[in-house]
Amino acid sequence: MKRILVVDDEVHICELYKRDLEDEGYAVSVAQSGKEALTAVEEDPPDLIVLDIQMPGMDGIETLERLVGGDKRIPVILNTAYSHYQDDYTAWQADGYVVKSSDSTKLIHEIKRLIGT
Amino acid sequence: MRLACEMENTLCILMAGGKGERLYPLTKDFAKPAVRFGGIYRIVDFTLSNCLNSGIRRIYVLTQYRSVSLNRHIRVGWSIFSHELGEFIECVPPQQRVMDRWYRGTADSIFQNIHILQRERPERILILSGDHVYKMDYNEMLAFHVEKNADLTIAGVEIERSKASAFGIIGCDEEFKITDWEEKPADPKPIPGKSDKSFVSMGVYIFNTDVLVRQVIADAKSPTGDHDFGKNIVPRMIGKHRVYVHAFHEAHNPESTYWRDIGTLDAYWEANMDLISVSPQCNLYDDRWPIRTYQEQVPPAKTVFSGGSGEEIDRVGTVLDSIVSGGCIVSGGRVLRSVLSPNVRINSYSSVEDSVLLDGVDVGRSARIRKAIIDKDVHIPEGTVIGYDPGEDGKRFTISPGGVVIVQRGISPT
Repeated sequence: MKRILVVDDEVHICELYKRDLEDEGYAVSVAQSGKEALTAVEEDPPDLIVLDIQMPGMDGIETLERLVGGDKRIPVILNTAYSHYQDDYTAWQADGYVVKSSDSTKLIHEIKRLIGT
Repeated sequence: MRLACEMENTLCILMAGGKGERLYPLTKDFAKPAVRFGGIYRIVDFTLSNCLNSGIRRIYVLTQYRSVSLNRHIRVGWSIFSHELGEFIECVPPQQRVMDRWYRGTADSIFQNIHILQRERPERILILSGDHVYKMDYNEMLAFHVEKNADLTIAGVEIERSKASAFGIIGCDEEFKITDWEEKPADPKPIPGKSDKSFVSMGVYIFNTDVLVRQVIADAKSPTGDHDFGKNIVPRMIGKHRVYVHAFHEAHNPESTYWRDIGTLDAYWEANMDLISVSPQCNLYDDRWPIRTYQEQVPPAKTVFSGGSGEEIDRVGTVLDSIVSGGCIVSGGRVLRSVLSPNVRINSYSSVEDSVLLDGVDVGRSARIRKAIIDKDVHIPEGTVIGYDPGEDGKRFTISPGGVVIVQRGISPT
């Protein structure tokens, strides 16, 4: 079973994605900050990361840069309420970009594109 | 096309982070771009002067090893840009913002500075190297890049095939689209119809920024490779992107294609010797393309003693076919076909031939020096002989493959 790490500071978003992604057959763990995410990746690397951008402390862009600059190659999907980050060169380090929505269809589509089912 | 407008939309990144190991011991304390050249210059002054003369006013210099003297030179010699007008020249060492490592290669040095590109958002990036001697108007290359609607344009120059294996070898079609590329091959392929020449990359690139960013990100994610433009990025792009070569011609002198990579001690010595010839290939005296540098305030050069009678008859301060910088005193000694940096002292009855003497060298009485590079502040004791007996020289000094003796700082030449 493919494992996904969802990183978001909003608990209900984490819960929503956890439910939807588990329904698709993925194993889902959550982290509520960039730092927590990096620790989780270090201890037990997932197959894919769904990463929010605007979080207190270390934001999603910095978390992404640290992930790409590190030695593990894990696909990252940026998942944000804002579309303007798509033009930001630093965000281009992500493998996918999905604008947040209550409907997880697009996110699931991107996940399947990157790691299959 | 308004070329000035296009250039304003172009950001320059000058690569100055190499180790310069092949130029050791001159790079023992200096980054290669900061090594003295042509008496008063530093190697990087040629590229920076090209920028200035081409109207480029936004320059990042990526530094890494032994960068103190380079930083200082840029700070004191090149702080001529107006921040109020959005102009700048800034040195950027590895920031280790988000990763605990230095630059792994040229492509990685761009990757680690993506946040700077995001801040500036230029249309294009001009990537230059800080260790080449040439005079180039980058506007001509930019006009070519725009006209061809290229993603990447690389400057290319014809050089002797025998010297080409240190470079990327370019193959192109009649439209100058690059069709093949070999990085530093042992046996470089010749230009069709010119069996003794090869078409090589000068390490001068114009990238559309979007393309560059995507390429260096893909490169950073690749577990293998050297994270280098010539070895990894360019070969990956050929056939998939619009990659062109711009054939280099010297600024204001289209007949000339003089370009030298000061990569080795022999290349360094030869390029210095070119400058003292009657008609040098690299003309420093063209006021349409001035090469600027920083110079300390020093008194004018002078010669003293014009012979006398008896023992004094050979005590003649003579300089022939040479470059002599400010602060030098040729005091009763003889200088022939040599380049003297500032504050060199040549004492009585000594002779210096075919040599490059860096700042503050003191040649003692009756010393004889031939075909040598003498490093900064070295004192040559009275009567020392250098360059006449390879066996003896080899015991004390570095000798280049071309037979140039290098007398480095910190060792006794006696």
